[in-house]
Amino acid sequence: MASDKGPDLPEVLLVERARRGDAAAFEALVRRYYRAAHAVALAVLGNPMDAEDACQDAFLRALERLDRLRQPERFSAWLLQIVRNRARNFRSYRRVRSVLPLEEVRAASDEDTGREAEREELRRELKSALTELSEIQREVVLLHDLEGWKHREIGELLGLSEGMSRQHLMSARRLLRERLGTKLLKEYSDD
Amino acid sequence: MTEDRIDFSPLDPMRDAERFEEIVRSITAAAAGELAARRARGSVVGQVALWWGPLLAAAAITGIVSLTALARLQTTAPTETTEPGLAEAIGVPTQVAEWVRGDELPTPTELLVTLESEQ
Repeated sequence: MASDKGPDLPEVLLVERARRGDAAAFEALVRRYYRAAHAVALAVLGNPMDAEDACQDAFLRALERLDRLRQPERFSAWLLQIVRNRARNFRSYRRVRSVLPLEEVRAASDEDTGREAEREELRRELKSALTELSEIQREVVLLHDLEGWKHREIGELLGLSEGMSRQHLMSARRLLRERLGTKLLKEYSDD
Repeated sequence: MTEDRIDFSPLDPMRDAERFEEIVRSITAAAAGELAARRARGSVVGQVALWWGPLLAAAAITGIVSLTALARLQTTAPTETTEPGLAEAIGVPTQVAEWVRGDELPTPTELLVTLESEQ
């Protein structure tokens, strides 16, 4: 019954199965929502390594509390709320971690190819530019531009109107453009 | 409408597939205990296993309390008083018990009156 446990099952079914201890269903939920969870955690923490830790913690916390989720169809919003809270707690008692990982990244990039080093440079610039945005701007721009969420979905998660979500996105992009120039801009059709 | 979207792909956690698989493995491994507990709670054997411990503890406590009470009764209660009590406890009328213990036999009338009064 491998196809029965595939990642394409509806969210509600995966949640119900994970509730009963189905490891494949839980893994499918992790794969489906990890990127969004990471975007939210990154928006709060500003550091990809810390965001990873916060995400792992949040997925485990969500599993432990799965019985409290009354509307399984709202799993993603509920999960991302847990991610936000975990990331905020994380930030409050673990503020300094940025120095060591950056050193490690630089050391690794010396040994890698030039392309890899270039990617690391972009990554570093992006991280640095993101710190100049407010938390809400980071969340909106990461969910929209990295995760591809619609303004309606972002608004639901963050408790904003669609209009406010658009406004935060525009401000975030303007600030990032000023900081990064045109090197990280792509042309996409907007939703 | 087209718009300049920021290319965040360098920060995409799924960009490095190998690293992403590591992350997924790490999360699912950390969740294994909770998932196993959930499976156990859901199965019949799991339910029995879940209740086995508390049931065993309750049985042990009941056994200890009962044995203590019995031991206390045996050491404190006088022998004479327990015999009529036992006869009465199993439903034998007091008068009949006394006839059994004594030497004197009842007359048929006494026996009839005693048994009728008990009904």
